[in-house]
Amino acid sequence: MFLRMIGRAVTRRKRKFLMTAGTVALGISLATAMLNVMLDVGDKVNQALRTYGANITVESRGASLLGDLYGIGEGEGVADKFLREAELPKMKTIFWAFNIVDFTPYLDVRAEAEGIGGVTLLGTWFARRLDIPTGESAHAGVINLKSWWDVQGPWLDDDDADGVMVGGLLADRHKLRIGDRIRVAVEDRTGEKRGAELTVRSLFHSGDKEDEVLLAPLAVVQRLSGLEGKVRRVEVSALTTPENDLAKRAAQNPNSLSRHEWEIWYCTAYASAIAFQIEEVLTESRAKPVLQVAASEGTILQKTSLLMLLLTVLSLACSALAVAGLVTANVMERSTEIGLLKALGAGDGEIVLLVLAETLTAALVGGVVGYVAGLGLAQVIGQSVFGAAVSAKGLVVPLVALLVLAVTTGGSLPACRMLLRLKPAEVLHGR
Amino acid sequence: MNRKTMYAKMVFYSMLRRRSRLALALTAVIIGATVVLGMGAVYFDIPRQMGREFRSYGANLVLVPSGDNAVLSPGELRQAEELLPKDKLVGMAPLRYETLYYNKQGLTAVGVDMDAARKTGPYRQVHGTWPAADNQVLVGTDIAENARLYAGTSIVLEAVPPRGRRIKKEFTVSGILRTGGPEDAFVLMPARALEALLGSPGRADAVEVSLAAESGEITRLAEQIRKEVPGIAPRPVKRIMHSEATVLNKLQVLVCLVTAVVLLLTMVCVGTGMMTVVMERRKEIGLKKALGAENRSIIGEFAGEGAVLACAGALLGSCTGYVFAQVVSMSVFGREVSLPVFLVGLTLCASLLVTLAASFFPVSRAAEVEPATALRGE
Repeated sequence: MFLRMIGRAVTRRKRKFLMTAGTVALGISLATAMLNVMLDVGDKVNQALRTYGANITVESRGASLLGDLYGIGEGEGVADKFLREAELPKMKTIFWAFNIVDFTPYLDVRAEAEGIGGVTLLGTWFARRLDIPTGESAHAGVINLKSWWDVQGPWLDDDDADGVMVGGLLADRHKLRIGDRIRVAVEDRTGEKRGAELTVRSLFHSGDKEDEVLLAPLAVVQRLSGLEGKVRRVEVSALTTPENDLAKRAAQNPNSLSRHEWEIWYCTAYASAIAFQIEEVLTESRAKPVLQVAASEGTILQKTSLLMLLLTVLSLACSALAVAGLVTANVMERSTEIGLLKALGAGDGEIVLLVLAETLTAALVGGVVGYVAGLGLAQVIGQSVFGAAVSAKGLVVPLVALLVLAVTTGGSLPACRMLLRLKPAEVLHGR
Repeated sequence: MNRKTMYAKMVFYSMLRRRSRLALALTAVIIGATVVLGMGAVYFDIPRQMGREFRSYGANLVLVPSGDNAVLSPGELRQAEELLPKDKLVGMAPLRYETLYYNKQGLTAVGVDMDAARKTGPYRQVHGTWPAADNQVLVGTDIAENARLYAGTSIVLEAVPPRGRRIKKEFTVSGILRTGGPEDAFVLMPARALEALLGSPGRADAVEVSLAAESGEITRLAEQIRKEVPGIAPRPVKRIMHSEATVLNKLQVLVCLVTAVVLLLTMVCVGTGMMTVVMERRKEIGLKKALGAENRSIIGEFAGEGAVLACAGALLGSCTGYVFAQVVSMSVFGREVSLPVFLVGLTLCASLLVTLAASFFPVSRAAEVEPATALRGE
């Protein structure tokens, strides 16, 4: 009988039913979208912050010691400490391989350029396709890593054997233009000079020290300097977790951690943990997180996540209140019907049960529709704000279900109390 | 009794009698107003607040000597500082690089005002304390590791002036500096200590400037300095400005979208709430029409009720919205929110518009009803 009453209530009072369901659907779609976006915002902002550039630099252990400690940048003892280019794809095999967004190697040599004098010739990858030992392939290079560079003309191609890009300041000083040809000569380790004629393909402004260099494909620089297969330095851009006390302690001395702490640290995407794992795969390397980038990224991420969390909670509270108010209004409208039921001898408990069951049925239907609509809304937000899809998180489903339950019961209970206080005679008379 | 007082009385009593229904509608309006004002304030405040947070990255403008000028003199620095807006200047730290010797080996010493260095580089981690006196220095972590130095030990630094003999001085290491950058291999010391050691007056090789300003403004300021102070070449740090702009832009669009969606929801709620209130009063409308009321006066009466509701809701909602924005700002940024005054007006207009629009349609429909049918209750 109870089920039948509810079933009839649904079919007969279609408009009211749809209205309650619609209201709940609206609220839930908002909740679903907001929660999904909020849970994803950290990753998305982290991606946007990648334009900060590299947050880990890798150098050869020997070179980094000499260069840092004694201010010796070149010459014996430094020049013969290198990383091996062939090993670089191994970086995409570490535990946090998927967090390594991009990386690029550098090899800098002093060169004599005709009409310019001594300049730094910097070799790098532009957009190199890598075959990773696991059988997959990936792209790495300076084009993605330095997205903020202002390039006049095209980026170079990695196979371009006689092209060069010129830093903005250098170009201004020596009036270099696209299409000019520069003769450069590099002295290799045996003292022999090797020359090449390079064509200026484009100019770039980096707002950094690269504005003073000639930028060429790595292979060209290696060939000129006789340093085949070697790189001086690698810049890595990785998605990282904001540092906490554990990460700071680990950075000072990984050995000070207990076994359990060490495991947590190793399996969390801290900049220091990723740097440690890079050191594990590259022979004789020393990877250092660039705190200037890593620390400020952490700050921004934390603030953004907190901001989104608060906005989500507060806007959810607002919409819950609004929906609950509407449910109350819907329930209160049924005073005549309830009056009749009371006159026919229905008990308080039965009435409350009936009203709750009806509203909950409506809310359930609305909740399911709202969840689906909310997923769509989250995609719209993701595409329009971040230009990337927002992944649907499983955690949202129970949260949303709980919300539906709380909002509908919270909204109907005060109305039920009001309904119970009604006098059947008054209501039926039409006051 | 004239028409106006009668009108006021009707509006007042009709609201008084329907307290519970009205409370519901009012809650909806308040919620709507809270969202408009609160989210609006957060939206307009984000660039300012986040801009400050982005300053944890450090300098976004570097001043270096230009052309033939080898170093920056204090006079040039003062000139440049005057061109920078005081309220947006987070920090300005002149750096002086010199080579000193420790155990006969050269190392780079940076002379800087410690307070300024902390402001322009909040990312600098110090294990120990920052130097408080002129005989204390910070040592980069790479040097510390190799020379086995730690906070509290002493270090003897040697200067070799171009003329004259070597000068030795003992310093206390107050802390170990870690940045992950080249500073890990430097010794950071108070500018005055370096001056005293070298015996030459103050000058700077580069100046870090941290400005809480947007990229357009920084570029403009840089241009101005380039023009007015001939010895200085200002270099905006591009990558920071770029990512700052991207992130801020995305955040603002996000908040804007969220506000729009929440607003839509509350609008629907206010609308449907008002509609049910009006539909319930069809009998009353019928009676008024039977008594000779015109459609216009009926609509006018409902509009009056709606306006009172909207104003009250907007006023209360502005207060709660301000609290909302303040809570967000205090807990996220730890700073007070600044409230643009026009937002209050906007809130009022929006509430009026939504409430009136929501009550107008059902009222005008109800006013079309034949009095007889309405009174019979069909």
